[in-house]
Amino acid sequence: FWAYFQVTVKLVKMQALVDEAVLPGDVVGNIVGSSEAIRLGPGLTQNGEAIVATKAGILRHRAPDKFWIENSQKRYMPATDDVVIGVVTEKLGEGFKVDIGTHQPATLSIYQFEGGNKRNRPNLPIGSLVYARMIVANKDMEPEISCVNSASGKAEGFGPLEGGYMFKCSTGLARQCMAPECPVLNELGAAIPFEIAVGINGRIWVNSGSVDHSILLSNAIVNSEYMTENQVKVMVGELLERIKSR
Amino acid sequence: MYREILSPEGLRLDGRRPNELRKIRCRMGLFARADGSAYFEQGNTKVLAAVYGPREVSVKSAMKHDRAIVNCEYFMATFSTGERKKKTKGDRRSQEISLVIKQTFESAIMTHLLPRTEINIYLQVLQADGGTRCASINAATLALIDAGIPMKDFVVACAAGCVDSTPIVDLNYLEDSSGTADVPVAILPKSNKVLMLQMDSKLPVQTFERVLDAAMTGCHKIYDILVEACRERTRDLVGSRGAFSAH
Repeated sequence: FWAYFQVTVKLVKMQALVDEAVLPGDVVGNIVGSSEAIRLGPGLTQNGEAIVATKAGILRHRAPDKFWIENSQKRYMPATDDVVIGVVTEKLGEGFKVDIGTHQPATLSIYQFEGGNKRNRPNLPIGSLVYARMIVANKDMEPEISCVNSASGKAEGFGPLEGGYMFKCSTGLARQCMAPECPVLNELGAAIPFEIAVGINGRIWVNSGSVDHSILLSNAIVNSEYMTENQVKVMVGELLERIKSR
Repeated sequence: MYREILSPEGLRLDGRRPNELRKIRCRMGLFARADGSAYFEQGNTKVLAAVYGPREVSVKSAMKHDRAIVNCEYFMATFSTGERKKKTKGDRRSQEISLVIKQTFESAIMTHLLPRTEINIYLQVLQADGGTRCASINAATLALIDAGIPMKDFVVACAAGCVDSTPIVDLNYLEDSSGTADVPVAILPKSNKVLMLQMDSKLPVQTFERVLDAAMTGCHKIYDILVEACRERTRDLVGSRGAFSAH
């Protein structure tokens, strides 16, 4: 995600719109000429002397110099180091074509697996799910993903996802689930044991002991998108009651 | 019996003043399948917009290596007009409006950020009472914002005409078909840049300037309404998560 912040501009005054809703066309800052440089992330662009928002969302700031627009949309815009869930669609000579929801499918090379080489090909039938990391993601090239941590060469959680159930959601909800404190996941975790993998491309995979629980998990997560913490507690409680009474 | 478009007291057929817009209602995010969608009502004119994209180009030969292509399809439902429409797609008027709206949005969407993709805008008129192309542009703007497609600014459109040298804003069907000039205009409100300007019938140049000003003022009023709707929705969508930040 941080690889998005390619554009840097010199500017002094960023208006006090941080954490406010901004709309396309809103001027969020002006270049007044100083040595301080800031970095613009997704949703912001420079138009002459002004920094203009191009998407509708909340303007966020991360010290010291990163600004971006946070919004929720159905379509995922790829960025390097994002964690995604993909569906294998084709087997190529030296890898796989994986659908991650972007306009082009991503390639996953066989060398991007732990211990993967020509003699030790990873076995991924068409239609299987993979949990992977984006390694090449820009607007000009086909995206590429990897199932291995490049530094250590180990899988570390990436790779095929066995069993379970994957459902689609908006990118905003996926980010919400990846936050350190996610109310709906905490509530559910207190009641049922389950495994979850969240792809920032708007796909979530859950696995639990029974089909009932998997359905409950997916419904609860999808319902919780616009709810406050208290509403989430009530909703999860109601769903659990319904299961117990069956 | 001849009904006056503008009565001597300065009231129009539906009781509006010359510079009053019809009542506007809009909603975003209606369809689960479409990447972005919106419903826009301007008086009795009702338009649905659905946006799909950016996605893989379906006709490979049309793909542009450095920017996105924008496709637009405008069609009217058979039940949208007073008499049932037999040919809704592919008739000349729909094709012309599709092309005009496509060109309008090509200037407003930041296409160079999304090379080798296509963005599809589908507009369906559910009820037509004058000003359908302007209502379609407004609906498409909301749908594009809902889809998170980067745009330079909102695109707002409004039509104006002229009766007895008084410019009237936001024509309905009766006024439109009474023979007055019809000047739809689409602008980027922050910079007042004109993206689309058409005119039916003839107008003397000075009158045209006043009619254009009236239409642009109408555009700004519509912009205020769209901004309010968008801001509320943005706050609901992203703001309701409270003190949340995944980064």
